[in-house]
Amino acid sequence: MAEFFQLEEVDGIRMPWNVIPGTREDAFSCVVPVSAIYTPLKPIDKMTVVPYSPLRCRMCRSILNPFSSVDYNSKIWQCTFCFQRNQFPQHYSSISENNLPPELFPQYTTMEYISAAETGPVAPPVFMFVVDTCMIEEEIDYLKSALAQTAELLPDNSLVGFITFGTYVQVHELGFGLLPKSYVFKGTKEVSKEQILDQMCFFSGKQKPATGVIAGTRDGLSSESISRFLVPASECEFVLNSVIEGLQKDPWHIPADQRASRCTGAALSVAASLLGVCVPGSGARIMAFIGGPSTEGPGSIVSKSLSEPIRSHKDLDKDSAPLYDKAVKFYDQIAKQLVHQGHVLDLFACAVDQVGVAEMKVAIEKTGGIVVLAESFGHSVFKDSLLRIFQSADNNLGLSFNGILEINCSKDVKIQGIIGPCTSLEKKSPLSADTVIGQGNTSAWKMCGLDKKTSLCFVYDISRKVGPDSVAQQTSNQLYFQYVTYYQHHEGQMRLRVTTISRQWSSGSASVQELVDGFDQETAAAVVARLVSFKMETEADFDPIRWLDRALIRLCTKFGDYQKETPSSFSLSPRLSIFPQFMFNLRRSQFVQVFNNSPDETAYFRMMLERENVGNTVAMIQPSLISYSFQSEPMPVLLDVTAIAPDKILLLDSYFTVVIFHGMTIAQWRNAGYQDQEGHEVFAKLLKDPHVEADTIIKERFPVPRLVVCDQHGSQARFLLAKLNPSVTYNSDNAAASGGDVIFTDDVSFDVFMDHLQRLSVQ
Amino acid sequence: MSRPPPSFTPQNPTPAPNPGGPASSFPASFSNLQISGAPPPFASAGPPAGNGPAPPSIRGPQAPVPGARPFAGSPSPPVQQSPPFGGPPAVQPLQPPQRPPFHGPLSGPPAQAQRAPFRGPPAASQPPPFAGPPAAVSQPPPFVATPQLPPYSAAQPQLFGGPPGGAVPLPTYSMPPFGGPPQQGPYGGPPQFGGQRPGSQPPSFGAHTAPASQPPPFMGVPGASAPAFGPPGWQGQPQPGVLPGGLQPSMRMPVMPGGMQPIAGQGIPSTPTMPYSPHAGAQVSTPSKIDPNQIPRPIAETSVVIFETRQGGQAAVPPAASSEFIVKDTGNCSPRLMRCTMNQIPCTGDLVTTSGMPLALMVQPFALPHPSEEPIQLVDFGEMGPIRCSRCKAYINPFMRFVDQGKNFICNLCGFSNDTPREYLCNLGPDGRRRDADDRPELCRGTVEFIASKEFLVREPMPAVYFFLVDVSMNAVHTGATAAACSAISQALSDLPEGPRTMVGIATFDSAIHFYSLKRAQQQPLMLIVPDIQDVYTPLQMDLILPVSECRDSLEQLLESIPSMFENNRVADSAFGAAMKASFLAMKPTGGKLLVFQSVLPSVGTGSLSAREAEGRSNISTGDKEAHKLLQPVDKTLKTMALEFAEYQVCVDVFLTTQSYTDIASISVVPSTTGGRVYYYFPFSALSDPAKLFNDLRWNISRPQGFEAVMRVRCSQGLQVQDYSGNFCKRVPTDIDLPAIDSDKAIMVTFKHDDKFQENSECAFQCALLYTTVYGQRRIRVINISLPCTSMLSNLFRYADLETQFTYIVKQAASGIPTSSPSQVRDQVTSTCINILQSYRKYCASVSSSGQLILPEALKLLPLYTLALIKSIGLRNDGRIDDRSYWVSIVSSISVFLAVPLVFPRMIALHDLMSRDDEDSLIPNHLTLNSENIQDDGIYLLENGEDGFIYVGNAVNSATLEQIFGSSSLAGVPNQLVLEQFDNELSRKVNEIVNEIRRQRCSYLRLRLCQKGDPSGDFFRSLLVEDKAPGGLSYVEFLVHVHRQIQSKMT
Repeated sequence: MAEFFQLEEVDGIRMPWNVIPGTREDAFSCVVPVSAIYTPLKPIDKMTVVPYSPLRCRMCRSILNPFSSVDYNSKIWQCTFCFQRNQFPQHYSSISENNLPPELFPQYTTMEYISAAETGPVAPPVFMFVVDTCMIEEEIDYLKSALAQTAELLPDNSLVGFITFGTYVQVHELGFGLLPKSYVFKGTKEVSKEQILDQMCFFSGKQKPATGVIAGTRDGLSSESISRFLVPASECEFVLNSVIEGLQKDPWHIPADQRASRCTGAALSVAASLLGVCVPGSGARIMAFIGGPSTEGPGSIVSKSLSEPIRSHKDLDKDSAPLYDKAVKFYDQIAKQLVHQGHVLDLFACAVDQVGVAEMKVAIEKTGGIVVLAESFGHSVFKDSLLRIFQSADNNLGLSFNGILEINCSKDVKIQGIIGPCTSLEKKSPLSADTVIGQGNTSAWKMCGLDKKTSLCFVYDISRKVGPDSVAQQTSNQLYFQYVTYYQHHEGQMRLRVTTISRQWSSGSASVQELVDGFDQETAAAVVARLVSFKMETEADFDPIRWLDRALIRLCTKFGDYQKETPSSFSLSPRLSIFPQFMFNLRRSQFVQVFNNSPDETAYFRMMLERENVGNTVAMIQPSLISYSFQSEPMPVLLDVTAIAPDKILLLDSYFTVVIFHGMTIAQWRNAGYQDQEGHEVFAKLLKDPHVEADTIIKERFPVPRLVVCDQHGSQARFLLAKLNPSVTYNSDNAAASGGDVIFTDDVSFDVFMDHLQRLSVQ
Repeated sequence: MSRPPPSFTPQNPTPAPNPGGPASSFPASFSNLQISGAPPPFASAGPPAGNGPAPPSIRGPQAPVPGARPFAGSPSPPVQQSPPFGGPPAVQPLQPPQRPPFHGPLSGPPAQAQRAPFRGPPAASQPPPFAGPPAAVSQPPPFVATPQLPPYSAAQPQLFGGPPGGAVPLPTYSMPPFGGPPQQGPYGGPPQFGGQRPGSQPPSFGAHTAPASQPPPFMGVPGASAPAFGPPGWQGQPQPGVLPGGLQPSMRMPVMPGGMQPIAGQGIPSTPTMPYSPHAGAQVSTPSKIDPNQIPRPIAETSVVIFETRQGGQAAVPPAASSEFIVKDTGNCSPRLMRCTMNQIPCTGDLVTTSGMPLALMVQPFALPHPSEEPIQLVDFGEMGPIRCSRCKAYINPFMRFVDQGKNFICNLCGFSNDTPREYLCNLGPDGRRRDADDRPELCRGTVEFIASKEFLVREPMPAVYFFLVDVSMNAVHTGATAAACSAISQALSDLPEGPRTMVGIATFDSAIHFYSLKRAQQQPLMLIVPDIQDVYTPLQMDLILPVSECRDSLEQLLESIPSMFENNRVADSAFGAAMKASFLAMKPTGGKLLVFQSVLPSVGTGSLSAREAEGRSNISTGDKEAHKLLQPVDKTLKTMALEFAEYQVCVDVFLTTQSYTDIASISVVPSTTGGRVYYYFPFSALSDPAKLFNDLRWNISRPQGFEAVMRVRCSQGLQVQDYSGNFCKRVPTDIDLPAIDSDKAIMVTFKHDDKFQENSECAFQCALLYTTVYGQRRIRVINISLPCTSMLSNLFRYADLETQFTYIVKQAASGIPTSSPSQVRDQVTSTCINILQSYRKYCASVSSSGQLILPEALKLLPLYTLALIKSIGLRNDGRIDDRSYWVSIVSSISVFLAVPLVFPRMIALHDLMSRDDEDSLIPNHLTLNSENIQDDGIYLLENGEDGFIYVGNAVNSATLEQIFGSSSLAGVPNQLVLEQFDNELSRKVNEIVNEIRRQRCSYLRLRLCQKGDPSGDFFRSLLVEDKAPGGLSYVEFLVHVHRQIQSKMT
């Protein structure tokens, strides 16, 4: 498995099948689709960045790469994908076997181009803050301090806009120095770009052009009119601070039996339209800070009456959430608008209640926005995550804008779509498959916002049929994938990253072993998780458990070693051996078992699932568990209730939460204060170690996970117990080891699950 | 009907039982001649002091009927007058003696009264009410004199405060409404008018120049006195007592009074010969024989009358609205508050129809009292609330009759017999009155106020909310209108009623609406912009309107910075309607006054308007007969909006500081529906108008007023209310809703008969106004009048009230303007006049004089006024649409007192002030409105209560120019004049006069300079109504025309 990880280090890509099933039927029988999880901006060691434009095939526009065959004499290169022969241009004339341009170096399968020609002046990033004010004073104060801190960290050149909302939307004119000034929009209506143009004095004193698109300085607006609302951070410090300082609870009276009137939808609509008017096409983020459910105007998710609860999964299933579909539709429109403008929607949802993440998901996901969900603006999950966005430390997110991703594939491979934060550009090409999964029907996607971690899951379709011509293809056993990402680097300039990889076709029917050898079970689990998550959202009456079980059984049936009807003979190759465990945990995870969570939480989890790389996805599916004890070095242990022991500390990383769990004895010692006494340094270290480890995890993760420190039998211990394999339950035969724990559940344990799996697989 | 009245009798009071009769007593000028022998006329007119039927009466002629009931007590009657008509010519010579006449009679108490209030301590009282001691007046600002304060401040309290001495007449009942202690008094003297803070207040008129420092010259004053001192009436009272003193002097021209002197220049080659008609009124014989010098003209009246509203159990005929009088409420209300077109009510509807005269009341519930009058008394019935008739709900009043030892009382309006509540029982005295009648204001006064009990409250009385809305669009800023508005508001803040219940808010607007939240204590105000002007809203629920005490400083600062904040505003559009709507939404919870400062045609947003005028012009040129449609609101949008405003007690006043067409026809709908008015500054001048703007605003917020008012007029069975007209909103047929009502607003109520009255009965009218004072007290002001009924047509004519009738005609004409072409309206007006005169001619005049135009004495000026009306701005063909619309809009709520001058202006000469001899009156006698009085070496002021036109002939002595204008040449002096006071006597006098006029009119005249040989001069001449104008008849021609019409009808 390590080799897959290494490949990922080089190219940022992992595929479940590293040997590609040779035919459509093969691919189908492999259960897990041919697919890839690609991290376009993955930081890669020693990656080459060249200061010129790439050479493109004049036929298929693919880019010259190390796999291209080159005729040095005639200065001709052959396209890897369409076999078109291309003449090198003049400035490549000195090319020879000993004088290769970097893009032909075999190790430079991933590299970047910065072309002077394609890089205009560096466009400053734009941050449009959209801040909810319908909160209790305490929350507002938290938010104020977080925003004030953020304001200091904003890059000097970045442009800042500020919108607050409650019953009404207020667009603050930061460029107006005399007194605090804001435009107030009604919360019950969307605001179009046209209205923004008309109503915010963009044409004061001038005639508005009768026709044509008006947007930005390039198309008809004066920069003064824009700079009223979007002001360089370095110039508006004072005003911005005073606006933040002046934030107040929405002043409109709220009857006791009602929710605050909060027009999140209108606010976002105003923000989107304003950005669309001012800075279309250049990188901009709407950063929405929301403290409760939207109750007013478009996109509202619940009525103001407190007697009506906010929709639950049950309501959604029963179709009894009247506002849900309307809201989703509204946000879908917002998403389209933002994508068109190349702008991102980030959501910071901090409330005990739901705020409507489920409805907003579409807009966040399609624009590649960030989402952070916390209980309060005072919570570290929010505060630290927000800081992380702007801190230029090692772990910065490398927020980039306006990515356009295009792919090329060898013949017989088509793309069904992408599951991940991007939007199809609907650029249909021969590469697009007829069946569509996620963002499909295209070979190019827009990623308004992307960062170092953003990972997309490409789902391919193998169109090669068994037939006479398959022989011919044996000649070229290799196939290629090329990913071309054109984006605005977080430092401002436009870059083009090209990743070209090569894989082999499996050779005909005797290929099972080849396929198994090329199977990356972690990636496969990640892909299956995305697929099941996607299907749960999009397919009505989808039964995820059944679907997962059948997939697993089919896979085991195809690739397991067994004798028919003899469960005990069943075994799996090491390449596949952990996969059932992933599936077991996936079945139990929040992605599949949604009923323990609110729709908002589920949406949040799914969004994270769909933008994370393989490693992190696996952590979400199957948390890692490390045990600390006097007896041994910290060591990973099975995710099982039996791992609990009174003299151990457990560190659970389930991606969203990090749990430090003290065994009973440890907790008693700690409470007795031994760690502070002389002679007990070892104990002190034992207590400290998991925290150190947790810190490293927290540091590199975004959003910052929630840290739960708990003791055995404490109430918080549920965060751990919920993830453990219930091998010991209140009614299981085997009693818990002394000092161990039992889990009160009727869920099946992994052993039972495996028994069933073996039985069914061999049938 | 047609009983030929003995020559004079009918018209002249003599025989009449009522002293009142005399009202009409002033024979027309020519009548004099004939009359000469006829003492009676005057005689009747006579009883001066008190009740003067008509002001003129006062002066005079009591002689004949001196003792008569009316004035039995009347002070010094007038000796002098007796020889009324000595002979016309005599008059002139008399001039010098003028003084004596006045002084003599009046010297008594009345004299004091009148002056005192304004001038401060009598001793101190310097002539210049406004100016203060001349010396002081160093400053350019016209009014400014600081020194003035003292006089006024002193004076003011009295204004409302009633007699200086004791404010509270009846200790028993809570407070005198106007009286006393500041807290209570609705207008509580001091606070409002600056009495209290004499030192601090800026002179109201000082406005532009030295705003801050000086105060109130005007304000205080005007409020108070204005009405009281109204210019002397212009009754045509030539002869009667007049001779000695009054009239002639006033007119420098021999013309008037007895004035027979032929004037050479007259347009018509008339011979001096006048036909003599034995008949009373004025008679004009065939045209050719008319002597222009003898035709009826108003005569200035300068003495003060004390008028007891009922005398000897009978209603007294009120003095002319334009005269100065002091009312003693003895059962009927003050005529300032309510007066009827006829002082005797016809018994039948047929009689009304026959007479051709209208039957209507003019109600001005908050009319300013004369400073010497007793304040209206406040009665508190506690929980029980005021006693009312249980059937018609009329309020208790002096005319309810208590019977059965007081156990029952009979309603004077519906005749129902009610049980007297136990708490209110009282025995009757031998005279059949309750023994306590004289102690209970509600039983002895025509006007009282009741404290409203709970049943009158639908909510807590609203606070006094003032919301300012200022246009800051490009033009407004460039023309200086924004700065003027801001400065006016800023200065006016100190005139707001004091106390925690006074709230203010402000917003500005161009193509968006900018609200300001002033809440934030130490911080800067927050500016909130509402950009959606199609569907507006208020951006905050609270904090936009705050108690003035909490936000005055920040508001002042804001006002100071607004002009610079929008200095570079390039938004030319103005969302007037939307801005009003948004402000309304902010005020909706409380209601209040919305003061809008608008400078351009509202071009965007809800209620936007288009430049219809331009279309209109082209239509006119193509002969479109629908041109008058431009005088109608363009659509219903603003009307709908206004109705909603009214429903939530929001009153809108619009200040139009503009230099272009703004479609007043459409805009004025809002103020007129909500109890506000339009103020019009066209063309706006940043130089001269800010002072007026400030003073108008200041008066607007400091004058006596009430909020969230409901008014209903009840009348005796036999009549019913036909309609109300004025600035209000009517939702149910019986009541009118007035989001705000103030001292300047009048409401006309017309009646029709639904039954007959008995000959000797009385017909009562009761106006009940439920309102909230600026200090948050809910009250009911009940105004009663009870008039005798008559079935004699001649009595109707004798007791006709000319000014009230004419006001009715003006209002009728105004309401017709938007729906008919000007010529139709003019015809209408003319035929109204003709019908009345014809009726008189037919039924009341002697048959013998068929060749003569016979005018009823009381209505002898009707033709002249009618002519003036025909030539007024509103009815002119050539006027700007907006000017005409504006005229219509102000007429709709105008009071009797101001309606006449608006149409029939007053002209005085300024160049010879130094040599005038009628020093006892501040304002020189006025000149007749014809160009003969205009000399090339003269300077004249013509004023109509709105504008003051200063005409300068082309041969004026440059020294005089220098003295008045500070420059020996007028070249380069802008038409929109800023009258400065220079250090010379003439200038001082001119300023005094102008200020006095302003005070009288409660209006800061816009002064305009008109020069001969300039279009402005031509315009000035077009205001001389007696002149022949292109398309308009001269006075003489008009009389001829009227006469011919009557003749043709008679045959």
